[in-house]
Amino acid sequence: MESHFINKSNLDRLVKSLSKSYKIFAPVKSDNKRFYRKIGDEGLRDSVIGEIRAVEPIKSFYFPARTKIAEYFSKDDSDKKERPITIIGAKSCDLASFKVMDYVYNQEPFKDPFYISKREAGLIISSDCTLCGETCFCVAIGIMPYPTEGFDINLSEIEGGYLAETGSSKGEKIIKEYFKLFQGAEPYAQKRDSNRKKLKEDLLEHVKKSGIPAKDSIQPAFKSKFDTSLWEETSKTCVECGACNMICPACHCFILMDQKKENGFERLKMWDSCLLMSFARVAGGANPRKLLAQRMRNRFDKKFNFFPDTIGRFGCTGCGRCIEACPGKIDIRAVLSKLQVS
Amino acid sequence: MDNPYLPIKTEVLDVIEESSTIKTFRLKPETPLHFKAGQFVEMSIPGKGEAPFTPSSSHYEKDKLEITIMKAGRITSMIHNLKKGDIVGLRGPYGKEYPLPEFEGKEILLVGGGVGLAPLRALFLALAHDIEKYKSVLFCCGSKTPSDIIYKDCVLDKWQSLDKKRIKFRITVDRKDDSWKGNVGLVTTTLDKLDINLKNSVSIVCGPPIMMKFATFKLLEVGYKPEQIYLSMEKNMSCGIGKCGHCRLGNFYACKDGPVFRYDKIRHIHEIWD
Repeated sequence: MESHFINKSNLDRLVKSLSKSYKIFAPVKSDNKRFYRKIGDEGLRDSVIGEIRAVEPIKSFYFPARTKIAEYFSKDDSDKKERPITIIGAKSCDLASFKVMDYVYNQEPFKDPFYISKREAGLIISSDCTLCGETCFCVAIGIMPYPTEGFDINLSEIEGGYLAETGSSKGEKIIKEYFKLFQGAEPYAQKRDSNRKKLKEDLLEHVKKSGIPAKDSIQPAFKSKFDTSLWEETSKTCVECGACNMICPACHCFILMDQKKENGFERLKMWDSCLLMSFARVAGGANPRKLLAQRMRNRFDKKFNFFPDTIGRFGCTGCGRCIEACPGKIDIRAVLSKLQVS
Repeated sequence: MDNPYLPIKTEVLDVIEESSTIKTFRLKPETPLHFKAGQFVEMSIPGKGEAPFTPSSSHYEKDKLEITIMKAGRITSMIHNLKKGDIVGLRGPYGKEYPLPEFEGKEILLVGGGVGLAPLRALFLALAHDIEKYKSVLFCCGSKTPSDIIYKDCVLDKWQSLDKKRIKFRITVDRKDDSWKGNVGLVTTTLDKLDINLKNSVSIVCGPPIMMKFATFKLLEVGYKPEQIYLSMEKNMSCGIGKCGHCRLGNFYACKDGPVFRYDKIRHIHEIWD
C-alpha cells in the first residue's frame, strides 16, 4: 500500500487515458442523488467522486439484472471479449458487498464465469465518503465510511485533489505508468486521517438514534427472536415488490429463465427476490416459506445469521438503499433495533 | 469458458410409463454425465425451463441414464409429453452422492415412498452391484395403491431373486385393490419388527416431505440415532451450483451440500419438513 497525491485536473487526464481501455463509470448528481454515468473522452466533468454512495448497487455492473448466460445447443459465444469495467467513486459499503458476491460466485466446485471474468478484468477506483447520508448506517455494523480494502486505488478528497492509495498490484501498476500525474502524499496524510475521524464520529452520532444493537450482538439477538411476532409485525406493510432485494448490493439471488430465440434457445440469469411467494416453492407444491412473515424473517436470517456463520461478516453493508426503496416504509435499522428489545 | 449453466444436448431414447402420474425417461447425453447415486441433474425442455431430478438408474451405466419423473408442475407436465427421439438438455451432476463407503459392512435399510423410490433405485442398484461389501439390504417401499407402485417388474419380481440371503423387501400400499395380496398400511408400518442389528445399521429415506417426516420419527422411535438416518431433501434447486439462493436450508444449500443429508446435521434447522 503506497500513497500519492493527484490534483483534480490530473485525475481527469488519468481517467481520459484509462477510458481508452476500460468502460468507465462514475457517479453524477441529480435531484440530490447520485447515479452512475459512463465516462468517455470528455472526462469526469461534473462527476461526484466523494459524498456518498450512488443509488444503484455496484452489483449491477458485475452481475447485471439480466444476463444471457447460455445459448443452447449452439456454439457457446460467451468468450466474446468486452472492454473491462472501471468504477470510479465506489464507496466502502460497495466494496463490502463484493465480499459477499465474490464468496458466492467464486465458490467451488462450480464458479460463475460471468461474474468472475468481469471482476478479474475490472478496475476499482474507490473513494472516501465525505458526507453522511440520511439512511447510512455502515458504522453500526462495523464498516467504515472509507475503504480499507478491496480497491485497486482509493481516493480521499483533499485540498483540490485526492490522496491516492494503492490497494493492489493492479493499482500500483497504474500509478507507476502514470507517475507524472502524481506527487508526494506526505503533506496530506494527516489531514486525510482527521477528515476520516470526523466523518466516522458524525456517522456514529447519526446511527446512535437508530438503536441498532452492538455489532457482535446482532446475530445472537436474531436467533433469540426467530420465533416471535416481530416478523409478522415487520411484514405488515410489505407489498412483496422485491425492491429491497433488487437495490441491495449484497443480495445475490437469481432465477434462470429459458426462452426461445430465432435460431434456438437462450438462457437468462435474472435477479430474483426471496420476498416473493414462489422463491422457495417446489413443483409438488411444498413451500417452506408460505407466509410473508417467514419470507421477511428469511431475508434477515440470510443477512444476519447465514453470512456471519459462513463468511464471518454480514450480508448487509449498511448502505441504507433498501430503506429508500421500500414503499412500505420498512426500515432495516428499526427492525435491527427491535431485535434488542426483549 | 467453462460455463456451468450450459445444458448438454440429450436424446430421449425411451419413455416408460410407471403409473398414471409417473414416467421414466431413458436418456443419452452427447457427453456422458458420470453421476453417482444420490446426485442430481438439471433437465431442461429447450426454451421452456429446467428442473432438478435425481437419476434412478445405476451409476455403473456410463453413457445413458434414466430419470423417473412425477407430473407435478409446469416443467414436469411438459416432460411428460416427451416422446422417443425428442431432444432435451441436461446439466450436472450436482450435489453430494450417497456415501457408499460409510455403508460398507452395514445392514442397510432403504425407506421409499411414491416417486421417492427413484433415487433409492439408483442407490439400490449400486448396493446390489457390490452386494458382498454390505451385510444386508432391506428395501421398504410404500405406494398409495397397487397401481401407483413404480418399477413394478423390478420391485415385485426381478430384484426379489437377486440375493435372497442378503436382499429383502417389504412392500406396502396405503389402499389395496382386489388384485393386491400384500401388506396394506403406510410405509412406516413396515418399520415395525425390524430384524436388524440397529447398532450396525444405516437407514436411507426418500419420499414426499410428509412421508420423510413421519418415517424419520418412526426410525428414531425404533432406535435409530439421528446420525444413522440419511434424508434426500426436496428443495427448489435452480442453478444447482450454490449460487442462486433458492434451495437454502439453514447454513446449507441443498444443491451443493445435499440433496442427501444426514439427519443429525439438519435436525436443528427450522422448517425442514415444510
